[in-house]
Formats: sequence, structure tokens, C-alpha cells
Amino acid sequence: MTGLSLALTGFVLMLVGIFLRMPIALAMAMTGFFGSWYVMGTPNAPMSQLKTLTYETFSTQSLSIVPLFLLMGQFATRTGMSAALFRAASDWLGHRKGGVAMASVGACAGFGAICGSSLATASTMGQVALPEMRKRGYSDTLSTGVLAAGGTLGILIPPSVILVIYAIMAEQNIVKMFMAALIPGVLAALGYILTVALYVRLKPDSATTAPRVPMQDRLRTLAATWPVIVIFGLTMGGIVGDWNWAKPGAQALFTPNEAAAFGAVATGLYGILAGRLSLAGFKEAILETAKATAMIFFILLGADLFKGFLALTRAPDLLATWVAGAGFAPIMVLLVMLLAYLLFGCVMDSLSMILLTVPIFLPVIEVLDFGMSPEETAIWFGILALIVVEVGLITPPVGLNLFIINGVARDVPIARTYAGVAPFILSDLLRVGLLVAFPAITLWLVGVVF
Amino acid sequence: MAQNPLERRIEGAARAMAYGGGLVLCAMAATTVVSIVGRMFTGMGLGPVPGDYELVANGCALAVFSFLPYCQLKRGHVTVDILTSRFPKRIEAFLGFLGDVLISVAAVVILRQLWFGFGEKFPYGSDTLRDRLGMGYKPFFPETTYELQIPVWILYGLALVAALLFVIVALYTVWRSFTWVLQGQEDHA
Repeated sequence: MTGLSLALTGFVLMLVGIFLRMPIALAMAMTGFFGSWYVMGTPNAPMSQLKTLTYETFSTQSLSIVPLFLLMGQFATRTGMSAALFRAASDWLGHRKGGVAMASVGACAGFGAICGSSLATASTMGQVALPEMRKRGYSDTLSTGVLAAGGTLGILIPPSVILVIYAIMAEQNIVKMFMAALIPGVLAALGYILTVALYVRLKPDSATTAPRVPMQDRLRTLAATWPVIVIFGLTMGGIVGDWNWAKPGAQALFTPNEAAAFGAVATGLYGILAGRLSLAGFKEAILETAKATAMIFFILLGADLFKGFLALTRAPDLLATWVAGAGFAPIMVLLVMLLAYLLFGCVMDSLSMILLTVPIFLPVIEVLDFGMSPEETAIWFGILALIVVEVGLITPPVGLNLFIINGVARDVPIARTYAGVAPFILSDLLRVGLLVAFPAITLWLVGVVF
Repeated sequence: MAQNPLERRIEGAARAMAYGGGLVLCAMAATTVVSIVGRMFTGMGLGPVPGDYELVANGCALAVFSFLPYCQLKRGHVTVDILTSRFPKRIEAFLGFLGDVLISVAAVVILRQLWFGFGEKFPYGSDTLRDRLGMGYKPFFPETTYELQIPVWILYGLALVAALLFVIVALYTVWRSFTWVLQGQEDHA
């Protein structure tokens, strides 16, 4: 068998396993393990690799940022920051038609700035914003749809766990990736707000208006969001710039790992000092972090084995050479890949998808000429992939955010949530088109800072 | 939730180990913050915590190892249920059972290979004893971390404890999902 067909066989078998409910991490690990065995004729190499691979994967310097960001997000969900953000946003926007839905988007964006996970953002904001929207007579369709969509801002707006993992796989600078995600993230929030505005114009009875809140109160509730502003400012502001103090230009205060550690400590301390983080809440935060961390690192371990097998087959190189030689238009190749992400996103979780596809897609993207430097191309592709993968979180049938919101609003039939999220998916797709057409939107801020 | 004593004990052990890992994680974060503060006042006789980078990296590894049992106990590993949720409940439960079996196999392989890895780092013991335990040749010098010179075998040893609990919990989940198959559908993990 040639390398390419071998890799393809492995890939297909892995997908069969995944669809038969095999844990994804395990499907990757087994494909990697047995594939390497097949190529080398003996299981000795992957076996002896495993003597140190597990420990070394788990102790990878750049990965220690992941549990720290997860812990920070867990603390943040338990310290009332989400409620403060929502209160402020709804005081400023709530009087407009559909304003509370817009405020939910704003609050999700704000929460995304201290939490790197979409699911945590969706569930936290769902608990805060859903009751309020219902109290004010917003339709179930709009209120569940906007929260499911708003949740994806958790991962688009830095910090973002998936972006960290993409950066590590693509060997890109994490800080640059975060910078690149910022403007697309803000665009996403604005797009969602615009979607709400159009939606309530087309369906006027899906939302209500309310009297304006006096400016004094608005300023007071805005001021109450200071912990979010301070923590985001310090963690994300602190990593911008160069880490080499001898060089001129912007100086970073921390490395990204240090920023994550600082963020976790600051969020936890704030919770304790403000009396919001009880011992029970703290323990719960630890257990949730434990579950998510172990899940992610187990997948990373599987992906390591899978990547080893792919490298043995040389399939990524072969594929890249073939695509480059076949003379496809680069933009068409990119669109096909994004379409594949969209389709798979309907059934798979975002992290696994990134881990499975980046080793195959990125080498292909890197040999194509998009008129950018290799680094810029990798950053741009990463942001596009992240957004498209996140669309999967809100597309039926397996959009996890939809289930999370459905779990918060148990009496709303899931079909209504599906209908509610559709306009936001449209807004996502338009944004992807915009970012594909104008890479500068993504790359401009990176260029300014570095 | 956990009814019989065995279940309660396993749940308790997995939880305790996850809390332990959580404390390691908090300690890592705190060390890093102390290190940042120390570095800011370098001119005034303070300094960064020595070896902060390797403390964080190895702390992370130990935390992750100690999180594995709890994650498995709670069925925290991602699966794609879109297709199988349309199958009859018993078949769905059976596929879940297969998943737990495979996780257990993986847990055993991880533990076994980690033990060999430990043997390669552990510089003590007579040749006969090492031979009997499958630890391989004694290393010529004990490998240590770069800055703090922590012997790596200590870290591997701690990871082994967690990997062992992972195997125990995984085997327990096999039994649990087997009872679910008999019962005809899955319970709450």
C-alpha cells in the first residue's frame, strides 16, 4: 500500500470507530498505534515510545497553559462575574427592541474575555440571561438561539483553549494567535447584535422594549464589571509585546503561561475575597477542571500517536505535493477545507477536529500561495478554521451549545432552539466570507503589535 | 449515585486524587505568581522562583495524571453519539461498554509502559530484583530535571500511582457498563 492509501485507510477506520461511540482519543491512539505497527512491522517502536510519551506529553511546557485557563474559566463562572456583565450590558442596551438579547451577546463577549471555553460561556450566560429574557417576554426561539450563538464567543475571543492548541500544533506564537482572534471575535459579537436587530424587525413580537435606565445607574453597573476588565486587561494586555527585554518596542509583562497562572489566581482570589467562591464552589471548580483537563490531554496523547503514524506514511507531504502540482486555485482548496470543517463540525467536537485535521490540512495550505508569508498564512488559516469549527457547536444535530442551552431551558423544545440559531449561523458564514476575502482583518492587529 | 461500599470507595479515591491534582494546579499557579512578583523586584534583592518553569511543567503532568481516573469515572472522554443514540438502548450501552473495555486496555498499556519508563530512570535495586520486576538495566546515572535537579524517577513514581488508580477505575467502569448492558440501558455516570 502506498503511504497515501494507508493513511486514508487508517483515517476511515478511525472514523468508523468514532461513529460507533469509541472515545475519540482512543480512536486516534489506536489508529496511530496499529498504523505504526503495520508500517514498521513490529509494535516495538510505538511501545517503547509510550514509556516516556505519556509523561512527556502531559509535561509539555506550552501545554501547561491549558489547565490554568480552564481553572480560571471555572472560577470565573462561579464568582458572579457573568451576572455583573449581563446587568451592565442590559442597562445599556435593554431599552431597545431586542435589547436584552443584544445585551446577552455583549455579556457573552465580555465573559469570553476571561473564559476560554464556549460551553462554559453558554451555560453560565444561559443561567443568567435566559430568565431575564423570559421575564421580559422575549420569544423562546430568539432567547435560546442568541445564547447558543453567543456562547461561541467564549472561544473566539481570547483567551481560547482551542487557539492555544492550534498554535502549538502549527508551531505559531500563541500571543500572535490571540491578537489575530481579537478583531474577528469583536466582529462576531457585532454581527450577532446586528442579527438580533434585523430579527426583531422581521418578527416584532419576539421581543419587547423597556424604559431607559438612567445614566447614573448605567455607570454604576458598568463600574461593577471592574474585575473582568482588570483581569482581562492584565492577562491579555500583559502578554502583548516582546518577551525579550533587551529589544526595543512593546514589552510583555508575562509569558502566556504566566498570564494564565496569574488569571487563575486573580479570579480565584477575587472570588474568595468577594465572598462568592465558597469551599463547595471551589471543589466543584476543581472537579470540572479535572474532567475537562483529562479529556483534553487524553485526546492530545492520542493525537501524538496519530501524528506519528501520519508522519510514517508521509501522507501529509504527499498530499501537499500533489495539491501543489495539480494546479488547483488556492482559494478553492481553502474553501473545500472550510466546507469539510462545516460538515464534520455538525457531528464532532471542535478540539478533536482541529487535532485530526491540522496535521493534514496545514502542510497543504502552507505550500499554496495566498500572497502572504508562511506565518501569516498559518495564523489566518487557524482563525478561519477556529470560526468554522465553532459554527459546528451551534449547527444541529450535534451542536453542543444547543444542548447546553436546552439543558438550562428545559421546557423549550430543541426544535425551537434550532430555528432560533439559524440566523446566527448565517451571520457566521457571512463573517467567514469576509475574513477569507480580506485577510488583513485578521492580520492587521498582529502587524501593529509585533 | 454510588450505593454499595465498593462504588463509594472508588468514587472517593478518584475524587480525592482529582482534588490532589487540583491542589497541585493551584500551587503551580501560585508559584508562578510569586515568581512574577519576585522578578519585578529583581533589583531589590528578590528574584524569580528558581526552576519555576520546570515546576509548572512537571506539576501540570502530575495534575493531568491525577485527573484521569475521575474523568473516566464520570465518562468525561468525548464520544460521538449521533449515530448510536438511534440504536436500541441496549446496543448503545454495549458500545459504551466496549469503549470502557478499550479505555481499560489503554490504561493498562499506559501503566505498563510508564513502569518500564520508571525502570529506566530509577537507579537503585539489585540486578536480580530489577530483573524480576521487569525494570530493565540500571541507568548509569539518575536523570534529573534541569534546574532543580529533581530526580525524574520521583516524578514518574508519582505518575505511576495515578496511572494505577486509572486502571482500577477503568476496570470498575467496565463492570459498571456491563451491568448497564444487562439492565438494558445506561444509568447516570
